[in-house]
Amino acid sequence: MEPSRSAAPWRRLVITLAVLLPLIGILAYGFMRDPRYINSPLIGQQAAPFTVTLFDGKKLSLDDLRGKAVFLNFWASWCPPCRAEARDLEAAWQRVKNSDVVFLGVDIQDTEEDARAYLREFDVTYPNGRDLTGKVAVDYGVWGIPETFFIDPQGRITYKHVGSLGTPLITAKLEEARAGIVSAKEGKGSYQTVR
Amino acid sequence: MLNFELKIKNLKFIILPFLVQLFSVLPLAAAAQQPDLEAQARQIAAELRCPVCQNLSAGDSPSELAQQMKGIILEQLKEGKSPDEIKAYFVSKYGEWVLLSPPARGFGLLVWVLPYVVAVAGIVLVLLVVRRWTGKKGRQEPSAADAALLARIKREAAIEAPAPPERESGSPRAELLQEQARLYADLRELDFDYRAGKLSEADYQDLRNTLETEAVLVLKKIETTPARRAATAPKASEGKPSVEKKTAPTQASARPGWQLAAGGAFLLLFGITVGVLLTKSVRPRGSDQDSITGDFLTGTGPGGMAGGAGMGGMGASPSRDVAALLAQGRAAYERQDWSKAIEAFKSALAVDPNQPEAHTYMGLILAQAGHADGALMAFERALSANPKFPLALWGKGMLLYQGKQDFAGARATLQSLLEILPAGEEKNQIQKTLAEINEASKGRKEGPKKVKAEAAAPPARPAAQAQGQQIRGTITVDPKLKSKLDGKAVLFIVVYQAGSTGGPPLAVKKIDNPVFPLAYSLGSESVMMAGMPFSGKVTVSVRLDKDGNAMTKGAGDLTGERNGPVEVGAQKVDIVLDRAM
Repeated sequence: MEPSRSAAPWRRLVITLAVLLPLIGILAYGFMRDPRYINSPLIGQQAAPFTVTLFDGKKLSLDDLRGKAVFLNFWASWCPPCRAEARDLEAAWQRVKNSDVVFLGVDIQDTEEDARAYLREFDVTYPNGRDLTGKVAVDYGVWGIPETFFIDPQGRITYKHVGSLGTPLITAKLEEARAGIVSAKEGKGSYQTVR
Repeated sequence: MLNFELKIKNLKFIILPFLVQLFSVLPLAAAAQQPDLEAQARQIAAELRCPVCQNLSAGDSPSELAQQMKGIILEQLKEGKSPDEIKAYFVSKYGEWVLLSPPARGFGLLVWVLPYVVAVAGIVLVLLVVRRWTGKKGRQEPSAADAALLARIKREAAIEAPAPPERESGSPRAELLQEQARLYADLRELDFDYRAGKLSEADYQDLRNTLETEAVLVLKKIETTPARRAATAPKASEGKPSVEKKTAPTQASARPGWQLAAGGAFLLLFGITVGVLLTKSVRPRGSDQDSITGDFLTGTGPGGMAGGAGMGGMGASPSRDVAALLAQGRAAYERQDWSKAIEAFKSALAVDPNQPEAHTYMGLILAQAGHADGALMAFERALSANPKFPLALWGKGMLLYQGKQDFAGARATLQSLLEILPAGEEKNQIQKTLAEINEASKGRKEGPKKVKAEAAAPPARPAAQAQGQQIRGTITVDPKLKSKLDGKAVLFIVVYQAGSTGGPPLAVKKIDNPVFPLAYSLGSESVMMAGMPFSGKVTVSVRLDKDGNAMTKGAGDLTGERNGPVEVGAQKVDIVLDRAM
C-alpha cells in the first residue's frame, strides 16, 4: 500500500503544489489581463449594414460603399484618445481620398453641438454621422472608443482596432482591407471605455 | 473670508446625467402599454452583461450603453424575436462573454462543474483530516501494560519471520496476523533506511513510534480475537480492524520543520503578491459616494461619468490618480477638514508637481490660516502652471487686496480673471470687488498727504490708522556665517505679538535676494490677517530661508532675533543673523 514511507512528505508536497499552482496561475491571469477587454467575434465576419444621417444632412448606407474599402471609426467628443488620433485620421484621409477607400466616422453617446465643435476643431473632412440609439455601436460590439473597423470591398471586417491609431497602421491596414486580407488578431491602443 | 466656489463647471455634471437618464426613460415610458414586453426586456437585460461594467447586468447598470441595450432588446421584442434570438444577437456582437451565465459546454462547463468538484473535494479532505486527528489521539498514549508487548515487538520485528499460516484465510485473525507481519516488515525496512542514512533521527523516531504503536494494537487484537470469535458477530470484528489498517499508514509522520517553514514562506509570498496586486488595482476614494475602484467595477465612477478623467485600460496606476485626489481634497475643503484637504492636495502634487488646482487650494488653505506669503506663493505656482486658472486668479487677487493691500496688483489680477470668466453672477461679483479696490486705492493715494494735515478727521479704517506706524532697522550677518550666505535665499522678517505663544505671526515681510547689510521697514502692509492692527509691543525675528518656502525651516537657514519686545513705530531695530540651522 505504501511502498516507502520516506517518500510520503515529497508526495504530499507534489499534491499540494498540484492543487495550489493552478489556483495561483488563475489568480495571476486574472490580475494580468485587462478586465474591460472584450475580444470581438466580428473579425472575418460580414459587417452589419446600417444607415446614418451625416452631419451635412445626407444619409449614408454601408451597402452603398460596397466595392470600396471602408475605414469605419467610432468616436465621441468627450473621449481623449479619440481627440489624440483625430488629426492622424484626417491626415490619412487626405492621403487616400482619391483612391477606392472611404472613411466614415460614427459619433456615439454625444451631443450634436459637441460633435460639431469637435469636427470643426480637427478640420475633419471625411463623412461623419451620429448613432442616436446606440444600435450601430452595439451592432459592432463597441465598448471602448475610438474603435475602428476596416472593411474590405466585399463588406467583410478584416481588422478591428480598439484605441488610438497612427497613420502608418491606418495605411497598412487599409492596404490589407483592399486586398481582402483578414488579420488574425485585433489591435489595441489607449482607449476610453464608453459610457 | 474665502468662501467663493466656482461651481459653473460642476453644474454641467449634475444636469447632464440627469438628462441622460430622463431621455433614456422616455422610450420605456412610451412602451408602458405593453407591460409584459417590458418585463420580458428587463428579464433579458438581467441575463446580459453590461460591456462597460464589471459583473453588472445590463439591467442593473445605469451606464448609457446598458440603457441603449435595453432599448434594442425592447425593439427586437416588438419585432417578434424570441428571448433566445435576442441573446444570440448580443452574443454574435460581443461574444459569449456577454452572457452572465456562461453556456454549460467547453470552457464555460468548468464554471458550472468546478464549484461542486471543489466542494466535494473539500468535504473529503475535511473527513480525512478529522479521521487522522482522532486516530492519532487513540494511538499516541500506549499504556504501561503495553510495555511488555512493545518489548515483544522490538524482539520479534528484528528477525525475519515466515509468512503467517494461511489456513484461516479470510478470518479476522488471519487478517490481523498478516497485518502484524506487514508492520514487522515495515519496521525492518525503516531500520534499514535509517541505517542507510535516508532518514533523519527525528523522522525515524517518529515513524518508528507510529509503527510500533500500530503493532501493539494489532497484537492486542490478536490476543482477544480467538476468545471472542464464537461470541461476537463477524461483522463487528471485521469492520474495525480494517478501518484502523487503512487509515493508519497515512498517519505516517508529524510535520518536520522544513515543511512548516516552506508553508510559512509560501503564505508570506502569497500575501505579498495579493497585497501588491490589490494596491495596484484600487485607488483612493474620491468622495464618500465613490468606490475604491471608481469606474473600475461599475463603469459609473467619476472617471466614467465625467469622461476624460478615467482613461480605462491606460495602465496608469490608480493610486496616483490625480483627479481622485483632487476630488478628495475638494470634498475635505468643503467640509473644512483642513488636514485631510492638505494631505490630499499634497499627494496630488507629489504625482503632478504642477497641478494648478492643488496649488490653488493649498493657497486658499494657507490664506485661511493667515499665511499670506505662503498662500501667495502657492497661487503663483498655480498660475505659472496655468496662467488662466480662474480660482488661482481669484485667490491671488483677493489676497493681494485684503491680505496685502496691494491694490494695483489685486486690480491687475482680478482684471485678467474678468477676461476669462463667462458672464454671470460671479463676474458681477468680481466687478463689484474691483470697484471697491478702486475706491480703497484712491483713499490710500490721498491718505499719506492728508494724514498729518487732517489729524482731526477720523480715519476710514482701523488699518489706515496704523499706516504710518513702522518698524525700521538694519539686518546684518554675523561675520562667522558670511560663508554660508546663499545668493538665492529669501529673507523673512517675522513679527509676533509680544507674549503670544503660538498661532500665526502678526506680520511677515518677504525680501527676495537680500543684500546685507539690509535696511528694512515693516508696516501694516505686511500684516497677515486683514484688519489686524499693527501696533503695540511685538517681537521681531528674521530667517534667511534657503529654499524660499516660508512654511519650512530647514538646514542651511540662517536665523536671528531681536532680544526683547519692541514698540511698533520703533526705529533702529537692528538684527544680526547669527545662528545657522
